[in-house]
Amino acid sequence: MKFFHYLLKIDRRIIYIVMGLLVTLPLVKPLGLGVTSGPRAARLFHAVDSIPAGKTLLISVDFDPASMPELYPMLTALMRHAFAKDLKVLLCGLWPTGMGLAIKAATEIPPEYEKKYGEDVVYLGYKTGVDAVILGMGENIKNVYPIDYSGRPLDSLPMMHSVQRLRDISMIVALSAGTPGYSDWLAYAQSRYGMRVGTGLTAVSAADAYPFLQSGQLTGLLAGMKGAAEYEVLIQKSGYSKAYMPAVAAMDSQSLAHVVIMLLVIIGNIAYFATRKRGA
Amino acid sequence: MKRNIPLAICLGMGILMMVQFFVPHPISVGFYDLTTKWVRIVSAFALVLGVGSFVMYHTEKLRRRRAGWLYSIVALVAAAVSTVVGLAWGVKQTGPLQNYIFTPLLVPLNSSMFAILAFYMASAAYRAFRARTKESALLLIAAFIVMLGMVPIGAAIWGKLPDLAEWILSVPNMAAKRAITFGVALGGIATALKVILGIERGWLGGGKQ
Repeated sequence: MKFFHYLLKIDRRIIYIVMGLLVTLPLVKPLGLGVTSGPRAARLFHAVDSIPAGKTLLISVDFDPASMPELYPMLTALMRHAFAKDLKVLLCGLWPTGMGLAIKAATEIPPEYEKKYGEDVVYLGYKTGVDAVILGMGENIKNVYPIDYSGRPLDSLPMMHSVQRLRDISMIVALSAGTPGYSDWLAYAQSRYGMRVGTGLTAVSAADAYPFLQSGQLTGLLAGMKGAAEYEVLIQKSGYSKAYMPAVAAMDSQSLAHVVIMLLVIIGNIAYFATRKRGA
Repeated sequence: MKRNIPLAICLGMGILMMVQFFVPHPISVGFYDLTTKWVRIVSAFALVLGVGSFVMYHTEKLRRRRAGWLYSIVALVAAAVSTVVGLAWGVKQTGPLQNYIFTPLLVPLNSSMFAILAFYMASAAYRAFRARTKESALLLIAAFIVMLGMVPIGAAIWGKLPDLAEWILSVPNMAAKRAITFGVALGGIATALKVILGIERGWLGGGKQ
């Protein structure tokens, strides 16, 4: 009886230590549980894979460093896939705090495939206005973004000569940690201009997007770190990348974190019902 | 007049924007292009309002020495330094904003704040997630299946677990989500119509006629 009472009043710092250890250990010594790709990630992969070489993929970086572990691996995997397929990558963002992450990706990934800024990849930067920005891009991208993130006129970037408006882009992938994000790209770019829109979301908000995937409005969906890991596996299996897979490496930690939370809930319930029966 | 003119503008623009969506004529497209430019300009004013509100709130807190006033100093200094560095050196990938503020400060701080959630969630789930009723027991079982099915260890325990998790997400979850989405959309249409027709006037603010 005392034991169950002790369990109910267990110091939260013990829970923190257990959680911290079990999240950290697999990062040091991976369990190697492996990741298999699901249908949603496969749909996005095949959609990107079917874009003809030389065409443009738009990736909207609508997240901040808080969501970086889940969404940044999606950004790098998508860029690797696009460059391996010889696609052009246009980056933009509806979140101001996503700028640094987009700049990091635009700087680090293209050299792996001998791609050059301005010819194969362009980052437009952040612009306030959300719906007005997307609708404006539908009419003329240069009206909304006359210069790129670092102040270079778009006319001076060779890649932008063939990309005047959204309809010159083959597909949009919005990597979103909330609002604004994929829902705005769906509402304005997909419904008004008929653009194909795929998305990558944090696990917590992925369930909101399922109806749009089933209706066909979304072309594909990467849900949380697992979605990122699935995409990493898909591009590696297809021979598009041999790079380190950060999301796959983190999945062991996530597995153990889920198990810990479940065990804690089970223990908490056992202790609760044991003490309640005795009390009654 | 103070109320009638904004109401008339709202009614006129609301109807025009609805009509232009279905009219592909160059005049309609030009009008649409012009209005989206206006929206972008008006949106930019929100930044001025936001910065003004932020500075006023924290200077007032600092002046009155309210609880946590020291954090207001940090907030004001951080905002001032970021603004000065951004305006002076821009946002180039090799600039100081990226090298000294975003990558070494904002990224780890922001990530840490989010990562702490894992610990709070574990502690809160242990203390609060109880199967007191049939409904909460059902929720608990569904949560367990989805939590396990979504990570590799679930498939290692039982091969069918990911499929079961997928069914929960694709059928019962989807039905509920769709109902919520329809409800929100219908509510949005009703509110928009009320604003356009001048029935809902909260956006005009207070004051006498």
